[in-house]
Amino acid sequence: MTKFNISRRTFIEGGVGLTVANFLPGTTPLAFAASLEERTVAAAKAAGAADVSGMIWSPYLVPMQPVIAEFKKLTGIGIGGVQDISIFDAPQRAMAEAISRSPQFDFIHIDSNMIPSLASAGYLEPLDEYMKKADFKIEAVADYANFMTYKGNTYGIPTDGNVHIQYVRKDLLEDPDNKKRYADKHGKELKFPETWEDDFRIQQTLMDPSKDLYGSGSLRNRANGPTWWYMTFYSAGGFTFDDDMNPTLNTPAGQYAVDIYLQEKKVAHPESAGWGTPQMIPRIAQGHVVSCQYWDGTAKLNENSAKSQTTGKWLYGLVPGSDFSGRRIHRSISSPLAALLINKYSPRKAQAAYLAMWLGSGKNSIPIVSDPVNTFNDAWAKEHMTAPQVINAYSAPAIKAIEANFQVVSPPTYLTGYLEFQDTLGKNLSEAYVGQLPAKDVLKKTDEEWNAIVNRIGRKKLKEELASYKAVMPKRDKPA
Amino acid sequence: MTVATGPAANIRSQPSPREQSRRRGIQRFRWSILGPLIALLAFVLLPVLFLQFYFSIHQWTVYLGSWWDADYVGLDLFQEVLTDPRFGWAVVRSLVFATGSTIGCFLVGFALAYLMYKPFRGQAFYYIIFILPMLTVPVVVAYTAEMMLYQSGPINDLISRISGIEFKPQWLTDPHIALPTVMLLEIWNWAPFSFIIMVAGLSAIPREPIEAAEILGASKWRIFWEVQVPLLRPVIFLALVLRFLEAMAEFPKTWALLQGGPGTATETIPVYIFITTWQYFQISKGAAMSYIVLLMMIVIVLLAIQLLRREKRSLDLMYREAGPGQ
Repeated sequence: MTKFNISRRTFIEGGVGLTVANFLPGTTPLAFAASLEERTVAAAKAAGAADVSGMIWSPYLVPMQPVIAEFKKLTGIGIGGVQDISIFDAPQRAMAEAISRSPQFDFIHIDSNMIPSLASAGYLEPLDEYMKKADFKIEAVADYANFMTYKGNTYGIPTDGNVHIQYVRKDLLEDPDNKKRYADKHGKELKFPETWEDDFRIQQTLMDPSKDLYGSGSLRNRANGPTWWYMTFYSAGGFTFDDDMNPTLNTPAGQYAVDIYLQEKKVAHPESAGWGTPQMIPRIAQGHVVSCQYWDGTAKLNENSAKSQTTGKWLYGLVPGSDFSGRRIHRSISSPLAALLINKYSPRKAQAAYLAMWLGSGKNSIPIVSDPVNTFNDAWAKEHMTAPQVINAYSAPAIKAIEANFQVVSPPTYLTGYLEFQDTLGKNLSEAYVGQLPAKDVLKKTDEEWNAIVNRIGRKKLKEELASYKAVMPKRDKPA
Repeated sequence: MTVATGPAANIRSQPSPREQSRRRGIQRFRWSILGPLIALLAFVLLPVLFLQFYFSIHQWTVYLGSWWDADYVGLDLFQEVLTDPRFGWAVVRSLVFATGSTIGCFLVGFALAYLMYKPFRGQAFYYIIFILPMLTVPVVVAYTAEMMLYQSGPINDLISRISGIEFKPQWLTDPHIALPTVMLLEIWNWAPFSFIIMVAGLSAIPREPIEAAEILGASKWRIFWEVQVPLLRPVIFLALVLRFLEAMAEFPKTWALLQGGPGTATETIPVYIFITTWQYFQISKGAAMSYIVLLMMIVIVLLAIQLLRREKRSLDLMYREAGPGQ
C-alpha cells in the first residue's frame, strides 16, 4: 500500500483551493467529485429533482430499477411512469412521438440504429452538453461508443451491447467420431470455424435431424434475417452505398452474402423461415443446434444451469470471416442495440439525460448487464470485461468472445430511413429463402427499392449522413 | 287532371292537432338520434378524412419537415399506389383471405346455429361455449396458435396420433400454407359471429311455412333447402357482408403471427398499409392507400346494400304471396 505524507500546510492549501473551487459557478459540486458517477450525481443535482417518464420494455427496466433507486436517493431524480413497449415496436411509437412533437416521454429506450431517423425528425436531444458538464464519457469496448453518435453529436447512452458472437457446441466439436468423420469428408481438422465456409461444413457434418439436432441456429426470418446477411456482406468487403448514395448491394460481395445466407436452408430447421428469438433461443439452450452467430446474452442463458441443458458445452469466439475480398475480414454486428435517447421536447430532458448517464456508467451498469434472470441488457463497457460479476454470468470464454467481436462490430444501415432499408432487404431475402423470389433477383430488386428510398428521403441529405455511418464501421479487419 | 278542391280537400291537407303532435314527436326523436351522429361525423370523422386526404395529395417526408410544409403532388401518390405491384398483391391476398374466412365462418356458424336454434336442455351452456372464441382477444389467439402450430407442436402431434400417419405441415413457415393458417384462425375466432346472427335468423322464421311443408310430407332436407334457406337469405347476406368487411380489415392475428411473412405470403392490405406508414414512415403513401381501400370498401358496401335490398324485396314478395287468403 502506498503511504502519502501530507504536510499541514499542503492540507490547508488544498482545502482552501477546493473551497474556492466549490463556489465557482458551474463547478460547485464537481470540485469534490472524483469518479464519473460522482460527477454525474453532482451535475444531476444542479438540474433539480424530478420524476421522469419514458418508453422502455420491462425486461430491460427491471434490472435497472435498483440502480435508478440509488440515483433517486442521491439526486431526487427517479422514474415516475413508463410505457412498457417491446424494443421491436418502440421505433414506430417513437416516430409517432417525433411527428407529434410530443413531450410525453422524457426518454425512450430503443434500437440506437434509429438515431439518424429520430434525429432527422427533430426528436432527439444531443447529450454532449450534459456529458461535458459531468465530464462523462461512454467507456465502451473498442469504438463501440461511436454507435451513439450521428453528425458529430452524441444522442444515446448504451445499456445493451447486443453484439453477435460465434457459438459452437464444444462437446460435438471434440467428439473423436465427429473429428474423424469431418477429417474423412473434408480432409481437414475439425476445429472452431474461422470462415463462413468452415462454419457451414461443420454444421452440415455434425447435424443430425433424426435427433432433432440441426446445423445452424442463426435466424432467417424476415425481421431478423438481414442482420446475418450484413455480417457476411461486410466481411466480404462490401458496403451498402457508394459516395453518391447509389446502393451497392448488387455486387459480387452482395451475391456471395446471399449465397451464404440461402445455403443455410440445408442445415437449418425446416421452420427457420419464420423463427425469431422466442423459438430459436430455447433450441440453442436445449442443445438442438450445432453452431450459430447469436446475440451475446444467450451465453448468459446457456451458462445458467437452472435454465439451460447445455451449460459448459459451448465454445464462444469470433464470428466467421471471409477471404472473398482477398484478405480475411471479420465483421460482427450489433442490432438492435438498445440505448437511452432523450426527447428534445421534454421539459425534464436534463434530468433524463443525467439518469441515462448514471445508468450508462461502466460501474453502475455491472449489475444491469449481469442480472441472471432479466438477461436482455448485455455487456458493452470496458469495465464489464473484467468485472467478476459479469464474467460469472457469461463465463470467461464468452466475455473474451464479446470483447473480440466488439472490435469488429458493425451496424446495419446507419442512416435515416433505417427501418425501411432494413425491411425491404429483409422482405427480399425472406422471399428468396422461401422460394418466392430467385436468388439472383434479391439484390437487383433491393437496389432498385433502396434507390427509391434514397430519392424520397433525399440523396443530398443521406450523402451528408454517410460519414456518420462510415464512422461507425470498424477500422480493423480482425480483432487486435 | 282534376284537382280536388273545396272543404274535403282542405280537411285532408290539415292534419289534426294530435297528428301534428305525433309528427313533431317523430321529428324530435329523429333529430335526437341523428344529431349526435351528425356531430360525430362533422367533428371526428370528417376532420380525419380531410387530414388523410391532405396527406394523400401532399408528399410529406417526416424526416425533412413539418406536415404543413409538405409538397403538393396532386394525384401522384394514388398513381404510385395503383401501379405498385406489392399493393396489388396485398389486395389479392386480402380478397382471398376475406372470401375464404367469410365462407368458413358462415358454414361453421350456420351449422352450429342449425344445431342450436331449437330449445333444448343445456342450450345456454353450449351457447356460451360456442361464442367463447369470439370473446378471445385476437392477439392472444395468434400467440396461442403460434405455440400450437409448430411443426413438432401439439396440433400436428395430435393429428398424427389420431390418424396414425405422420402429419408434419409447416403451418407458419410454408408460404403456401401460411395464409390459409391465418384464415383458419380467423374462422375459429369469428365463426361465433355468424353463429349468433344465424341463430337469430333461424329463430325468427315463421313456423307456418315449415308446418305446411311438414303436412305436405316434405323431407327435412327439402324443408331446410326450399323453405328455411330462402327465408333466411337476407340474414345470410347480412352475415356474409359484415364478416367480409371485418375480414378485409384483419390485422392483429396476421401481424402478431407472421408480420407479413414468410416472404410476403401474408402481406395483406392492413399489413402493407401498416408497414408503409409505420415502418417506412411514408405517411402520405399510406394515406393514399387508405383512401383507395376506403373507396374499394364503399363499392363493396354499396353492392352489398343493393343485394340486401333485392333479397328483402323478394322476401316481402314471397310473404305477400304466401299471406292470408292466398
